[in-house]
Amino acid sequence: MPVTSNASAQAAPAAASQRGRGALIGAGLLALALLPLVAGASPYMLGLLISALILAGLALSWALLGNLGGMVSFGHAAFFGVGAYGSALLAGKLGVPVLLAIPLGGLIATVFSLAMLPALRLSGPYFALAILAYAQIFRILATELDWLTGGAAGLQRYPGLPTVLGFNLADRAGSYVLVLACVVVFALVYMALRRSHVGTALRAIADSEDATRVVGVNATVLKTWMLLLSAFIAGVFGALNAHIIGFLEPDYAFSGIWSVMPIIAAVFGGYRSVLGPIFGAVVIYLFDQVIAKSLIPVGHQILLGIVLAIMVLLAPNGLSGLVARFLPRLAGRGLSNAEKGHA
Amino acid sequence: MLELDAVTVRFGGLTALSGISFRIAQGEILGLVGPNGAGKTTLFNSISGLVKARGRISFNGREVTSLPLHKRARAGIGRTFQIPQPMHHLTVRENLAVAQVFGAGRYDEKRIDEILAVMELSHKADADAATALALQELKRLEIAKALATEPKLLLLDEVLAGLESNAKRSFMLKLKELHALFGLTIVIVEHDIETISGLCTRAVVLNFGQLIADGTPAEVFNNPAVVESYTGTAHA
Amino acid sequence: MTELILQALFSGVLIGSVYALVALGLALAFGAMRIINLAHGELVLLAAYMAYLVESRTGLDPYFAIPLALVVVAAASFVLFLLVDRIKDHRELNSLILTFAIGIILTNAILLVFASDVRTTASPFLQDAVSLGDLFAMRSEIIAFVLSLVLMGALWWWLKSSWYGRAVRAVSSNRGAAKLMGINPTRIETVSFLVAGALASFAGVALYTMSVVQPATGHALTVKAFIITVLAGVGSIPGVFLGAVLLGVTEALTVTLASSALQELAGMVLFLLVLFLMPNGLFGARARRG
Ligand SMILES: Nc1ncnc2c1ncn2[C@@H]1O[C@H](COP(=O)(O)OP(=O)(O)OP(=O)(O)O)[C@@H](O)[C@H]1O
Ligand SMILES: [Mg+2]
Repeated sequence: MPVTSNASAQAAPAAASQRGRGALIGAGLLALALLPLVAGASPYMLGLLISALILAGLALSWALLGNLGGMVSFGHAAFFGVGAYGSALLAGKLGVPVLLAIPLGGLIATVFSLAMLPALRLSGPYFALAILAYAQIFRILATELDWLTGGAAGLQRYPGLPTVLGFNLADRAGSYVLVLACVVVFALVYMALRRSHVGTALRAIADSEDATRVVGVNATVLKTWMLLLSAFIAGVFGALNAHIIGFLEPDYAFSGIWSVMPIIAAVFGGYRSVLGPIFGAVVIYLFDQVIAKSLIPVGHQILLGIVLAIMVLLAPNGLSGLVARFLPRLAGRGLSNAEKGHA
Repeated sequence: MLELDAVTVRFGGLTALSGISFRIAQGEILGLVGPNGAGKTTLFNSISGLVKARGRISFNGREVTSLPLHKRARAGIGRTFQIPQPMHHLTVRENLAVAQVFGAGRYDEKRIDEILAVMELSHKADADAATALALQELKRLEIAKALATEPKLLLLDEVLAGLESNAKRSFMLKLKELHALFGLTIVIVEHDIETISGLCTRAVVLNFGQLIADGTPAEVFNNPAVVESYTGTAHA
Repeated sequence: MTELILQALFSGVLIGSVYALVALGLALAFGAMRIINLAHGELVLLAAYMAYLVESRTGLDPYFAIPLALVVVAAASFVLFLLVDRIKDHRELNSLILTFAIGIILTNAILLVFASDVRTTASPFLQDAVSLGDLFAMRSEIIAFVLSLVLMGALWWWLKSSWYGRAVRAVSSNRGAAKLMGINPTRIETVSFLVAGALASFAGVALYTMSVVQPATGHALTVKAFIITVLAGVGSIPGVFLGAVLLGVTEALTVTLASSALQELAGMVLFLLVLFLMPNGLFGARARRG
């Protein structure tokens, strides 16, 4: 995990800088909401943005686990895929309304994540790779249990997003708004959680485990909640994606892409912040699809690998870390927490 | 209120505590004395759950020997660390808030302010605990954190060390005040005989992991075995 | 049925010996630097593609690629070391992400240069079946097995008796103490990465002669190597060999008794079981609890 000793960059922001950040967040989200108007004419661009936002949700979920839970996951595809299949099957086989099936898909991912609880006792790399193992196992199970999942041939016949109050969520603009709304909601949840006492305690656990436990904090339980929440969020975005795309197959739903891309997006944007992973995802995804793919049609991910390596080496706190370091100086606010960390 | 029965702790081949048994009554201020490496900190660690101990530890009539750390804190065992361990990247106030919310199960900002005032940390309340505090302030934060969990038993590990005698005396008064104010039972590790005599009604002496004396401070410090344990390792 | 099972056991041991080479490289880098090199499988893959390059360009036997593979892979391993060495904060996890990124870069570089097709040796001589009683193997598998045993023996001897070997062991068991003994850890880490690269070179060439490779193989190999070190416990060569054989045999038996689609599943399940149920590995690993 790209952690630096100045994790206090996000520690206890003063009220003023918190309001500043709030404004920044608002502006950023507004910009995202307005993007489709700019890109308005092009359904292609809108499609890209929807995928970018799906990835943003996934990156948010990954970063929540990494930042609050202190756990690096190499297998978020597990939750993403389970959420996708869960929701598609509920809607397709049991006739559950899609807008209900999507959060239920998230819940199913949460339930599946319970199987990962033994991994919580493992230290960093072992946890990371244990989750990778889970993702592989789920992918193989989805392939093998073909009576349920349709096997390698996949699932196609399940409903897409519905029309609500005359607003067609299935067309691109509708899907875009829905996915964006979900990203915003989870970002707000994440922010509230981070500011709560639970968030404060989790922040403390990362570097002072004994000191935190000795005042009554049950580290394991808090980390468990973060795992469950992270699984839920990833599952919801997997489900959203499933109903937007309209088909599922194991190699797609559990693809390593869903494990790798959130890592790159979150590290690039700064996984210790809430907004970093979201902007990171949008930038990285568009860069990959629009620029990298046209430069190198096959093997374009090499550029993502290079970006990831450079970020870990040069700016382990990501874009948001750079912003936190330089913005206060520009604004003349004097010494920020981030800088104190460096002193 | 605290009862130790044959508490034994081993680190590999080293026996840090062997068969320690004694009781502490409600409201006592007990001095825990012994040369360096005697096992005092280890005893605190085993009571608070930081190291696994064999034997039996009961607290308020309830066996806690195998209870995890956080549950002992919630049950009312508070402690400080000899080398202060603030929660990093948190402000002083956040340190107390976490301790209170998770240790005492409630959030009461007024009480946090009170504790901050008593421990003379109000002026640093919003400073980063790990980086902006001096050593003596960190030691006071240790106590403040423990108090925020609303403990019944408070284990203080060399909180007075390094203070000059005037400061020490006023800090002793403060401890007595806390003792009365919060209805605490206190165990304090301290090397200074005068401090123990002034503060405690009873002292327990450890040497090489064994309990070698238990009595009033006067009795204990005149015990030949105790004198020998100190002179034997004097200035070690 | 018994014959099939015996054959599976036999094949599992043969492939397991090559897995062991891969895992030992991973373990060596871990021992020296306490980092898990998630690009290690890609280093092996790089060597395999060197074998493909030499064979397809010159028509020579793939084994002639070993010198080239040694140079290329050792160089790659060295660069990797230099990059990882730049990480100062939270080395364990940041290096995990960095080596992961390097793995992505290597995989895609190979994809760019060699395309995504599945490659294997074209040599009929290597693919010929030889029989040992009722059991069959390709000639290349036997060669790989012998090669692996020899290399493991050499590694064992090197760790035990050479100055560098002893220093490597000293550093991996206690960095601070090793420093006091006048051992320069950076030098030892460099040597460990170079040796890990050398093992990867042999493993890659061997793999190319006895199995198929494609760009995605690298990641799978890293995961297998990690599984083996978890099974075995880092540090003992016989332990790693047994862990590798166990994985090879489990995979081969799964293919024989169930289906090849479940091969990977078996390895993963074995991995999780050992991770959860035997915190010290099958043969006594280091602590991995958080
Ligand atoms: N975690 C540990 N692992 C191994 N040995 C330990 C550990 N903690 C303490 N020890 C050993 O146990 C013995 C008792 O140590 P302890 O810290 O309890 O002594 P102490 O009485 O608090 O001494 P001091 O006055 O120096 O604080 C010492 O020999 C110490 O080295
Ligand atoms: Mg001590």
